Amino acid sequence: MGRQMFNIVKKETYSCFEGVQAWVVLSVYIFISMFLTFFIGGFFSIDNTGLFSFFCFQPYLMSFLVPALTMRLWAEERKNGTLEFLLTQPISLFSIIMGKFFSAWFICLCMFLLSTPLWIYLNIYFEADNMSILSGYFACLLISGCFCALGCLISSFCSSPAVSYLWSLIVFFSISVSDFSELIKSLHLPLTLENKLSNMLSLNSHYYDLMNGQIGWDNIMFFVLLMIAGLWLNVAAVEYKKN
Amino acid sequence: MIVVKNLCKDYGNIHAVNNVNFCISKGEIVSLLGPNGAGKTTLMRLITGYIEATSGEVRIFDKDIKTSRIECLQRIGYVPESGFLYNEMRVFDFLHYAAQLRNMNNTDFQENLQQVIYNLDLKEVINQKIETLSKGFKRRVGIASALIHNPDILILDEPTEGLDPNQKVSLRQYLKNYGRNKIIIISTHIMEEVEAMAGRVILLNHGKLVKDTSPEELKKLFPEHNIETAFYKITNEVN
Repeated sequence: MGRQMFNIVKKETYSCFEGVQAWVVLSVYIFISMFLTFFIGGFFSIDNTGLFSFFCFQPYLMSFLVPALTMRLWAEERKNGTLEFLLTQPISLFSIIMGKFFSAWFICLCMFLLSTPLWIYLNIYFEADNMSILSGYFACLLISGCFCALGCLISSFCSSPAVSYLWSLIVFFSISVSDFSELIKSLHLPLTLENKLSNMLSLNSHYYDLMNGQIGWDNIMFFVLLMIAGLWLNVAAVEYKKN
Repeated sequence: MIVVKNLCKDYGNIHAVNNVNFCISKGEIVSLLGPNGAGKTTLMRLITGYIEATSGEVRIFDKDIKTSRIECLQRIGYVPESGFLYNEMRVFDFLHYAAQLRNMNNTDFQENLQQVIYNLDLKEVINQKIETLSKGFKRRVGIASALIHNPDILILDEPTEGLDPNQKVSLRQYLKNYGRNKIIIISTHIMEEVEAMAGRVILLNHGKLVKDTSPEELKKLFPEHNIETAFYKITNEVN
């Protein structure tokens, strides 16, 4: 399983880098994230030892960049007719899905690696809270992993990469911005429970907790469970769609 | 050996494959015949495990495709009707990828690669991108990907579509030789192909198996003595 999955990762990553897709995503990421960090986040004007002005924009950036990585994973296979080739190979559907997921996540890792000179710069010229920064990168990896899993799932429902991109964008922005407070309020629960539930379901709240160095199990499990749910539903969706 | 038992596949109210039974042994080249929408492609997809049957079973060398899908697929090479190639890849990379997905080691891959390149005459395009190839070459690359692991069962949907007459003749000859100790299932609309290659014909109509016989016997069924007329008369009689 591992070897075949690695071959899928290799093939998917290679096709991303062979075309313009990965390069465009990486360039756009580094340009926009630096712009946001320095000009909107006020890199020099706030206490930035933990690179807060960089990390605070990541969920929104991921919301529109990750769909560009995941949009073609299944939609293009369906559009080009290669799905039948792939699904009649002696490899489990789970391995294929994991392969596709890891290839998208690997490019996200490349994005974050591109931003590490900022960390080095901070260490050389200012004071850096390295543990906090590490925790921020960990949060970024988790949130991008969630978006990759959900993006894979959305792509498996679409026959066109463009449609997949749009749907992913809508879903990711919605879950980045919303804390489901309106929905929870409508349940008429006690205030303390309402707040607790709202924090529990809010992606941003877990992300900011991690970013601030609170690496609790609840925060990690939130992202891990979201990833598992996305990948598991992806298996079900592909099975359902092909039958 | 392929055993198909009481196989059914429904899409809503449509019976795409309706209670089909047959058995294919080693050394047989079987041609799947039938008008458009008869259920040929669905039947091939069921045999390869691409789609799940509504009821019934498919056994590949005594293993159920549903429960032992990966083991069964190790022994099958499948060429769908069209457009299943990764156009952005080079021919070599695509064949290498197909071999990697089948967990083949490099020595076996190199050995089989030389064979398929020679048999399917792919030497001149091996380093070319698939998107730049002609329809005939694309078809041959597809067949090469199914043959790269030297499968015991080869399932081909319209294999000679897009090939020129010379390529058709050489491919038929090659498949005929290959089928001597393997199982080949070919879906086709070309009757001369059936006569040239197949030792057995399975005729489907509206998802049902309506004839399972040899091409010679099929010809003898009607005074005109040709497969085309037999095909026409049988499929219209059922209608």
